[in-house]
Amino acid sequence: MKIVVAYKWTSDPEEATVGADGVVNWSRARPGISTYDPVAIEVARGLAAATSAELIGVTVGAKGVGTPLAAKAALSRGLDRAVIVEDDSLKGAGQAELAAVVAAVVRRIGDVDLVITGDSSVDVAAKMVPTVLAGELGWPAVAEVTDVTGQPGALRVGRAVPGGAQVLEISGPAVLATSADATTPHVPGMKDLLAAGKKPVEHVDLAALDVPASSAVMTITGRARPARKERKHQLLDTSDPAEAAAELVKALREVGAL
Amino acid sequence: MPEVAEPDFDVIVVGAGIAGCVTAYQLAQQGREVLLIERGEAPGSKNLSGGVLYSRGIQEVFPGFLDEAPVERRITRNCVTFLNATSSVGLDYQDARLADPVNAVTVLRARLDPWLAGKCEEAGVTVMPGVRVDRVLTEDGPAANAAGAAPWHANGTTGRRVVGVQAGDDELRARVVVAADGVNSFLARDAGLRPKDPLNHLAVGVKSVVSLPRETIEARFNLTGDEGTAIAVVGDCTEGVGGGGFLYTNTDSVSVGVVVRLDDLTAQQKVVTDIFDHFLAHRFIAPYLEGGELAEYGCHLVAEGGLKMIGEIVMDGMVVVGDAAGLTLNTGLTVRGMDLAVASAVAAAGGIGAALENKDTSKAGLTGYRERFFASYAGQDMKTYAKAPAFLEHERMYKQYGELFADVLYGAFSLDTRPRRHLLSVARRALAHSPLKMRHLVSDGIAGGRAL
Repeated sequence: MKIVVAYKWTSDPEEATVGADGVVNWSRARPGISTYDPVAIEVARGLAAATSAELIGVTVGAKGVGTPLAAKAALSRGLDRAVIVEDDSLKGAGQAELAAVVAAVVRRIGDVDLVITGDSSVDVAAKMVPTVLAGELGWPAVAEVTDVTGQPGALRVGRAVPGGAQVLEISGPAVLATSADATTPHVPGMKDLLAAGKKPVEHVDLAALDVPASSAVMTITGRARPARKERKHQLLDTSDPAEAAAELVKALREVGAL
Repeated sequence: MPEVAEPDFDVIVVGAGIAGCVTAYQLAQQGREVLLIERGEAPGSKNLSGGVLYSRGIQEVFPGFLDEAPVERRITRNCVTFLNATSSVGLDYQDARLADPVNAVTVLRARLDPWLAGKCEEAGVTVMPGVRVDRVLTEDGPAANAAGAAPWHANGTTGRRVVGVQAGDDELRARVVVAADGVNSFLARDAGLRPKDPLNHLAVGVKSVVSLPRETIEARFNLTGDEGTAIAVVGDCTEGVGGGGFLYTNTDSVSVGVVVRLDDLTAQQKVVTDIFDHFLAHRFIAPYLEGGELAEYGCHLVAEGGLKMIGEIVMDGMVVVGDAAGLTLNTGLTVRGMDLAVASAVAAAGGIGAALENKDTSKAGLTGYRERFFASYAGQDMKTYAKAPAFLEHERMYKQYGELFADVLYGAFSLDTRPRRHLLSVARRALAHSPLKMRHLVSDGIAGGRAL
């Protein structure tokens, strides 16, 4: 059994700064594994251990995603090996394009039973890659996955739905996107980090992959900040703390916050 | 006798700052198996320096340093300023000779340290960021566990011997552990090498990096190309608390900060961030930074005890380097730490290399580090300036001298249509009005001459 975890190596927007002219400066933001991807690796690691499956990390992107440091950071979380496509033509690539490349890597690896991804990427957060990837592979995609057990061909997948939880049985290959809080990823220890340096990393040329042209091109043509909510300008007199607290509770109830 | 497990590495270095990286790099160059552990997510992410690196030492370690490393500017202009509330008197020394050969450069550790760690990796060091070492592993001293025929610690002292480090549930073992974990070295303390430092040996620094266009910096600081200015400030910048301020030019930013003595800060009941804000807002400092954007802000402890801070730096199975060994030097004119880190690292790599060669990593076997360090320019300088910390503790340095100098010069420059007096007589009058006495001038002159 082969399980692929598709992870992203990127910078956290919280570390970027936005200049007065609106230009985003990424130079001080350090790249790392996208925030929710360790959750996906942890869930996959659990399933791989239970089923003696091989766990393969896949990432695609511009130069930098395949440095030894980047590969080790991913491998130290429990992957058995990594397959990486590092090509500057993928700089600024859209989610559909990246998902198509990941799909091509999955096909190239061959006999993959399951692909697991994080909830969303920290930098884009469009939640698109798992579904487009599944579409490219002709597999079902399941989002908000909280746990996975069972065997290939008979997977039991828990997923969160509004107001509760569901358990699915999946009979064939699938793409699963883990929920952000599916599990708490462990912090790699020194031995994990040392072992990571000895694990195989395969670099694949983008040109060597069969990536079909996308049937549609998606371009971001507009951006806006969220609309600012009108403030109520409600001030409470705090000379009598008990009364102020009661008023505060009343005001919060009125707007439905409590 | 228990069998000693084969160590995972020859040497484990804890802390990927300048001292740690240089030690690891040189040992890897000797062909040793080296692990470099760093607590920050990436080397440099937790490290902070004022920003001036006297670079001759590191150029010997990395011959291409000035061209390859991310250095900011080459310092050709040094200023020392006595800053008063409404006046300032300074020494301004600019010299083209300082550019060739380059003597000092400004650096930003967030850029320099990753470069150093990269050089370590190239040399074969296993670099492991994102790991916090919880404690050193120790075993009973030499007598209890000599390993078969290899007398790794035959000449050692009694007591505990360091055999590795522990982080989380993992333990890794090495023949030598290098504590390069900074001024608050938990490792050195954990191993019982260093007691808690007295407050007057410690200072706290607050520093900002303020982004400005490079043309603006060159115009404001009178620079061309990649030349740089280092300004040291004493007096009103610290509101009279023992310490000083600094402004260093980077390529497209200015490093600005204050460093104040902890004991004086506590005694005067002042808050270091208030002092820093006061410095930034000073009428003679603010214009340098006007229009700039805050890019970094940080605080750091600084060891200022000089020679007195350096205690034991070698024990069975472990050495201490850089800030962790208390290696900083404030001579009044120059504040040094990073170059001492380099020198101690070079000495440590030499001493450890010899100890590994002789298969004796006991305290006695590692003592070559101490000898090499005190034979180096850095060790010599620590001795030369041994009296500087005590001299710089005089509060006269931080308030009254600056005002006295300004009063003398005011007498000379303020032509108020009254007949002029000779400068000497102006000076005498200024001294008479100052709380300073002639005996202070004489004694401080002599003490300063000896200490600095």
